[in-house]
Amino acid sequence: MSLENNQQVGPSAPPPHLRVAGIEKRFGGVHALKGVDFEVARGEVMALVGDNGAGKSTLMKVLAGALVSDGGAFFIDEEPVVISNPHDAGALGIQIVYQDLALCENLDVAANLSLGAEPVKSGWPFLPRFLRPLDDLEMEVRAKAAIDRLQVRTLRSVRAKVGGLSGGQRQAIAIARAVGAECSVVMLDEPTAALGVAQTRQVLDVVKRLRDTGHAVVYISHNMRDIFEVSDRICVLRHGANVATWKTSETTADEIVVAMTAGLDSGTNNAA
Amino acid sequence: MQLDTSFSPIDRLRRMRETRLGSFVPVLLALASIWVYFGLALPLWDFWSDPDAGSIRFIFLSPRNIYNLFMQSAVIATLAVGITVVLLLGEIDLSAAATAGVCAALLGVLVLAGIPGWAACLIVMAVGVIMGAAQGLLIAYVGIPSFVVTLAGLLGYQGLMQKILPTGNLNIGDPFVRAIARILIPDLWGLVMAGLLVLAIAALALRRQAERKARGLELDTNATLWGQVAFFAIIVFAAVLTMNAYRSVPLLIILLTGVTAIVGWVSTSTPFGRSIFAVGGNAESARRVGMNVRRIRVVAFGIVGLLAAIGGIFGASRYGSVSYTAFAGGSLLLESIGAAVIGGTSLFGGRGSVWNAILGALVIGSLGNGLDLSGASAADKLMFSGAILLLAVAIDALSRPAGNGAR
Repeated sequence: MSLENNQQVGPSAPPPHLRVAGIEKRFGGVHALKGVDFEVARGEVMALVGDNGAGKSTLMKVLAGALVSDGGAFFIDEEPVVISNPHDAGALGIQIVYQDLALCENLDVAANLSLGAEPVKSGWPFLPRFLRPLDDLEMEVRAKAAIDRLQVRTLRSVRAKVGGLSGGQRQAIAIARAVGAECSVVMLDEPTAALGVAQTRQVLDVVKRLRDTGHAVVYISHNMRDIFEVSDRICVLRHGANVATWKTSETTADEIVVAMTAGLDSGTNNAA
Repeated sequence: MQLDTSFSPIDRLRRMRETRLGSFVPVLLALASIWVYFGLALPLWDFWSDPDAGSIRFIFLSPRNIYNLFMQSAVIATLAVGITVVLLLGEIDLSAAATAGVCAALLGVLVLAGIPGWAACLIVMAVGVIMGAAQGLLIAYVGIPSFVVTLAGLLGYQGLMQKILPTGNLNIGDPFVRAIARILIPDLWGLVMAGLLVLAIAALALRRQAERKARGLELDTNATLWGQVAFFAIIVFAAVLTMNAYRSVPLLIILLTGVTAIVGWVSTSTPFGRSIFAVGGNAESARRVGMNVRRIRVVAFGIVGLLAAIGGIFGASRYGSVSYTAFAGGSLLLESIGAAVIGGTSLFGGRGSVWNAILGALVIGSLGNGLDLSGASAADKLMFSGAILLLAVAIDALSRPAGNGAR
């Protein structure tokens, strides 16, 4: 019902880095994704919006390999690829920052950033890798580099426990963890949902840094102000299908909200 | 953002517990207050209230009693170190004392059958690992809560111990096994070892500081650095000198320190140890970064089994016998869990240290010892232990970060 509306962006869009076409997903009798097309380019923030149940989270989980799609094609730089589990997605450079962040509050920032890929000191060949001494200085160096790359200025020390940090700082650390793992596509699920004004500011700055460093950013949010501040394009889903994709500079919040809630056809009817 | 202005007492407690040295403070305070009470306050009170007393008798703080205190607490401490590992995961092991009992009984039967002591020790350590890991498999792969699995283990292993020891008692005369508790390190050697240990710690701390400087990382202040070394040196030398004043440092204590050092090093300085803390802090996070949460749980329970077996060997060596009441049927289990918790290891997972478990064991041991010396009844002892445990858990609950409150 909606694929033809994609020409609202048309050929002037940058060449996509990650592109999916005709994604289908069913949960039992529920048809959650009905042939959804989606794309995001490097150096671009693509906002993914829709009302509750529109399929945003499902689409994102399919892209991250957390859910297996029932149909559709995946392309990285127009090369067909297969994403059937989180490991595939990680190997293709696709990282997701879930809303719950999944940080270990009992560990410090450096430990969280290198969790699961801790550097070990060289020179202990007789020990299995999981028993070799941790190189926690290297860990701190890497953490500092990652934090500096994202310019999280309020963070005083990479040795601070995550449990004592603010919501914005935690979000930034979760993003830094995703970005640290050689990734080209970062998907952010409602990164500012629980944050105050100053914290939101901080996270949006981090998102802009990601764009400036050539990452492809997928930004899921309900907050129109954030979306219009940070995104380059906006993709609207409704009832598990595409409504349309707009360039952010060529649309308004009202138009997006109408598209989210009523779809495009009725929206244009109302306007007419 | 730069300055947190909230400094309520609980916030301070929280901040203090987050630092490495600070986590020792509550348990050290508990230990100090118990020692002051039994060692100074009670004898002075007796002296003043009794006109016939000729002199003050500091029985509790005598080197002889401290020596016995260390030896009495050694078995509790060994088990507490193991239990700390599963507590860090956010699990619990109720079967540790029963496992220790089975291993000790098996050790007694094996050496009676003529198997050399060292081989028997290795066999029961393997048996301990299997007993622990079997429970770990049920917890991790079948998904039964650890509380239930290890409760079943507690009952089952108690029965197993009675099967191995139908009479409920067995003397152990094997020279190798007895030697663990009997061998004393000569006074001079004890001091030399303590000195070398302190020098090594200081050298490591300095080298680390130099490396931090070279890599441009934030530095510890000199006060923190030397404070840590001094703190460590005081504890080591005080312990060695006290034990030398009565006899000498027993091999048992050296072995306990060594085992704790290994478990402590694995838990804080290896990828495996980091994964234990990660699972305890946020299992979902650990799973997402690709850690095998189930395997980590099984290994952790294997470690408890190993330490329970070592505790059983230590106990058999110290008592010269294995009895049902000394292990599976007695208060050992609750004392060792209590020791781990009093040491400041969180029951909610992710926070704690095996070294604190040793201090916790000393608190439990001192309390029992002091109440015994002052002629308190068994009923008083139980009630005091309960109160101390409650206090420790209350401190834990208060010092958890606020964000975790809902979990």
